[in-house]
Amino acid sequence: MSAEGVPTPNGVALRVRHLYVRARDRTILTDISIDIPDKEVTAVIGPSGCGKTTFIRSLNRMTETTQGLTVQGSVLYRGQEIYSPSVAPVLVRQRIGMVFQRPTVFPISVYENVAFGLRLEHQPEDRIEQEVQHSLVRAGVWEEVKNDLDRPALSLSGGQQQRICIARALAVRPRILLMDEPTASLDPVSTQRVEATLEELSQEISIVMVTHSIAQAARASTRTAYLYQGRLIEEGSTEELFERPKQKLTEEYVTGRFG
Amino acid sequence: MTAGAEGLGEEAPALTYASVSGRTRRRLIFDRFIPWLLPLAFVVVLFPLFDMIFWVAQKAVPTFTLATLTETQVGFGGGLYSMILGTLVLIAIGTAIATGIGMAAGFYTAEYAPRPVATFGRLAGNILAGVPAIVLGYFGYYLLVLYTNWGFTTLAGGIVLGIFMTPYVYRTTDLALTSVPPTQREAALAMGARPRQYLLRIAFPIALPTVLTGIFFAMALGLGEAAPIVYTAGWSSTPITGLMQPTSFLTGAIWLFYDLPPSEGTLLTLAFQAAFLLILIVLGLNVIVQLLSDRFRRRLQGLFE
Ligand SMILES: Nc1ncnc2c1ncn2[C@@H]1O[C@H](COP(=O)(O)OP(=O)(O)OP(=O)(O)O)[C@@H](O)[C@H]1O
Ligand SMILES: [Mg+2]
Repeated sequence: MSAEGVPTPNGVALRVRHLYVRARDRTILTDISIDIPDKEVTAVIGPSGCGKTTFIRSLNRMTETTQGLTVQGSVLYRGQEIYSPSVAPVLVRQRIGMVFQRPTVFPISVYENVAFGLRLEHQPEDRIEQEVQHSLVRAGVWEEVKNDLDRPALSLSGGQQQRICIARALAVRPRILLMDEPTASLDPVSTQRVEATLEELSQEISIVMVTHSIAQAARASTRTAYLYQGRLIEEGSTEELFERPKQKLTEEYVTGRFG
Repeated sequence: MTAGAEGLGEEAPALTYASVSGRTRRRLIFDRFIPWLLPLAFVVVLFPLFDMIFWVAQKAVPTFTLATLTETQVGFGGGLYSMILGTLVLIAIGTAIATGIGMAAGFYTAEYAPRPVATFGRLAGNILAGVPAIVLGYFGYYLLVLYTNWGFTTLAGGIVLGIFMTPYVYRTTDLALTSVPPTQREAALAMGARPRQYLLRIAFPIALPTVLTGIFFAMALGLGEAAPIVYTAGWSSTPITGLMQPTSFLTGAIWLFYDLPPSEGTLLTLAFQAAFLLILIVLGLNVIVQLLSDRFRRRLQGLFE
């Protein structure tokens, strides 16, 4: 059963096998097995409460920062079991970054926000400066903030803040970026910018994005996973899943006839 | 009427006070007075306060000179120098102890302690804050004066004052840290920060204004206490030169001199001057707290939405 030590094939960023997440009195995720491909955007869709957030949080060991959740099963990251007792969760999270639904900038300057992870790694200042700029460019927000790097990040607009958060996550050069409804609090223009950013980023890294918008999944992802009541109902190429869903449940959801 | 004119065929909507009756009307009218009740309560509370400050100032200011601050009380004359010195040293020791222990305990219960331990810690803090100061005084007297054979010392007074102040610093630190939005913690941990790094780099700067307010509040309370110090630091009119000596202090002057017979009126004046000085210091602390929290609030604007 245990896949520990088994090398993940090329092109697979994360190999999830028989993943269960349980709360005290109930099972939130049941027997999830999926390969998250490298250098692609995987959308995670499904009705509210089906376990999307819990799923992506279990991919970088954020689940255990919430009291009362237990994880069972295997998540392999480039051949390494991230739930192995010898693995430090802190190091996992440095490589598998996360962006939340609502912008969560720290109450410090724009520059220091993006530099946060680099400072944790005690990077030299010139390297930090370079990475901050590079990350802001990659997150598609450099032009808007390049003259305001010393401004408190909290004084920016919601859309700008969210892209600062993306830049902050990118600055430590994660190989995988987990995003929980990253555009849920953004206007259409900002949403478009973030989506464009994702497409560009997916040339280099693997992205897993939870979204409530079927349209966004169709636009911005190449693979889609459909979760329903804590189970993975179907996953595959976005095009296929939307046009020729194999499961009735999936079809009902993607055609909006969900009831 | 216009409703009818618009062809809706309904009665004119009831919008005026006159158009409703009985309870509804009384309630609507009462609601309009509510905003004025609070200012009224303020006046009722603040009047005695200002009256007291005015009364103290009236007795203290006419004779208040530089010498009041710089001269030592000898017999019926002199100033408050030894008491000011004693109070400063006592409050410095107390603040150091309360800040050290209170902040460490606050950090612990807010971030590290398992839930039952945290609940117990908070309960203990509340109980300690509720212990009457005079009980702490007796406790200090038995432990630090008699048991240690120190006799009355400034150090013992400072320690007891520190114990008195600790729960206030502890509670505000704990509260300030636990009320940092949990999303900040999530975001920091998701960046690979360790809990200690989250505490020091994110949570503490956010909590700092509240913690500072708690420290200044504890200082203001400590400055106003006499009972715990009288039983531990004793009393000595000469300015201290070391921590292992008894000392005089401002609240002690009020406590000891206020009840003296009128023949010793100069000492009564000293009591009023000590009270006046304490009021000034406490007001000063409050102004500092206000200025600080205004500045910090501007920095954190938008975080707590
Ligand atoms: N810490 C927890 N303890 C107990 N139950 C939890 C916990 N976290 C989540 N759940 C439950 O697990 C289920 C899945 O939650 P999750 O947040 O993953 O759903 P979601 O798909 O992200 O929903 P949404 O689309 O509304 O964000 C929900 O029913 C929720 O109540
Ligand atoms: Mg969710």
